[in-house]
Amino acid sequence: MLHLSKKMRFLPYVLIAPAFLLICIFKLYPIVETALESLFVDSSFTLDTYKSLFSDSSFWNSLWITLKINIVMIPLQVCLAFIVALLVNSTVKGIGIFRTVFYLPVTISITVGCLVWNIMLNPDSGVVNSFLNLLGIPSQDFFISKSQALWCIVLVATWKGVGYWMMFILAGLKNVDIAIYESAKIDGAGWFTTIWKITIPLIKKVLLFVFVANTTANILLFVPMQVITNGGPQESTNVLMFEAYQSAFQYGDRGRASAIVMVLLLLIVCICLFQAALLNENDKSEKVRVK
Amino acid sequence: MMTRKTKKTLSHIILYIVLILIAVLTLFPLLWGVSASLRDDSELYTYVMPFSIHTLIPVKWTAKSYVDLFTVYGFLKPVLNTVLVTAISIAFGCVLNSVAAFAFAMFEFRFKKPLFSLVLISFMIPFEAIALPLYRVADKMKMVDTFQGMILPSIASGLVLFLFVQFFKDIPADLLDAARIDGANIGKIYSSILIPLSQPVFITAGLMIFMDQWNSYLWPLLIARSKDIRTIQIALTAFNTEHSTAWSALYAGSMFSALIPLLLFLPLQKYFVQGITSSGVKG
Repeated sequence: MLHLSKKMRFLPYVLIAPAFLLICIFKLYPIVETALESLFVDSSFTLDTYKSLFSDSSFWNSLWITLKINIVMIPLQVCLAFIVALLVNSTVKGIGIFRTVFYLPVTISITVGCLVWNIMLNPDSGVVNSFLNLLGIPSQDFFISKSQALWCIVLVATWKGVGYWMMFILAGLKNVDIAIYESAKIDGAGWFTTIWKITIPLIKKVLLFVFVANTTANILLFVPMQVITNGGPQESTNVLMFEAYQSAFQYGDRGRASAIVMVLLLLIVCICLFQAALLNENDKSEKVRVK
Repeated sequence: MMTRKTKKTLSHIILYIVLILIAVLTLFPLLWGVSASLRDDSELYTYVMPFSIHTLIPVKWTAKSYVDLFTVYGFLKPVLNTVLVTAISIAFGCVLNSVAAFAFAMFEFRFKKPLFSLVLISFMIPFEAIALPLYRVADKMKMVDTFQGMILPSIASGLVLFLFVQFFKDIPADLLDAARIDGANIGKIYSSILIPLSQPVFITAGLMIFMDQWNSYLWPLLIARSKDIRTIQIALTAFNTEHSTAWSALYAGSMFSALIPLLLFLPLQKYFVQGITSSGVKG
């Protein structure tokens, strides 16, 4: 720590002031604003906004779609990222190139990803259907099918996201002492046992971080719905974030939009707490076993 | 019984096959986009079905769609807007966050802990969650449809600040104390000791802000109402509706938008990856 003379006591505050004020105005205050907006109508406190939201079937439909897409997408992305990280953690020749290639979609905007995938998944003139035909599979409807659109969004988001999460897990894997693997090998542990009993427990913290960060990112997934499906077909991709956007900008119902954002924030907090609790429990049971 | 050596070669071959398969899946949309952007509009959908070699490789190569993009479709304006927004965000973002991080890392002061906790909370909140209410704030401050509105909210970043703090903590305070004794003031210490020592973290922070701003969609969508200030990502999605026939130009624009971060990212990827991972893995 640097020492400051009495005259300079104020200096740290001056240094943090610009960044800190901007964070308060543009990052923290908006949350306060949302909370207030969802709770006050005509400057008097009321729970009506929430009451009407909760009695609205299209809200429950959006909530269900949001949960459905995330229950599939988050474990899928984390598992794939873990598998790919294991693959690129090997030391074979040219592995650096593969690592870079797998990471490339991260540098590309989700907008471009959506535009290109949307054209590739076009039912009539898309290359994916052309390829499926080649394999003898009939053409699919993808984004215009009520039952497929949501899963096509999962595909696009996973293509875009896996490389990002892979890098975190890879960094975790690199921190594991190689000697541990070697001694496991001497003890006769197989590949699968080593991963299950050694690798996963050792990088549990990183995995948890990836889980939580992935959850907070994906629960608010918005761009594919805005760029590709517009919430359809037949509301099948109308996630909460899109519903909130539409409430605010299409229907001009700010209170409803704020209430939905609050629900989303609450959802994120709950999932993070749940995951943290899960990790804690694991920690305890491990200690017991060691004793 | 296989010998150890053949077993090892075999496992390597399987590994490569899997890696190449994933690489093809990852790269395909990009290669498809590049190939489509180099085609003539007339042949864009001619060779898609049935699947053949020309589905992937243009018959007649042409860069016309890239030329059209800038001459006919006025793509230069959004490019310049994006460059402007990105450059200003990087400059202010690096200076303001690093200066604040300098204070958090080097000095002891009252309320430091709660203030820093607020910074940490701010970077755990995803931007999408605050985007809609942020629009209200910007509206009240008369910043809708202005460059200030586009830039200001992204300058201060809890994540970038946190990265700087992590890095500055490892710089020995003795070094800075010695400089103080030699008569250097705080400004001098920052500019001629801290910045040179922290080059890697400045590059990381700059890249992170670059990626965020260059690829940003939701915020410009909300705040940039007029055509004059819209950015690349908005112009691209608007392309879909405004020039619904200009598919190859849309591809060209998409590939252009993807190319610039790639050119920066490939030589500097070490810093970028270090940056994103140290924010999550160390803590």
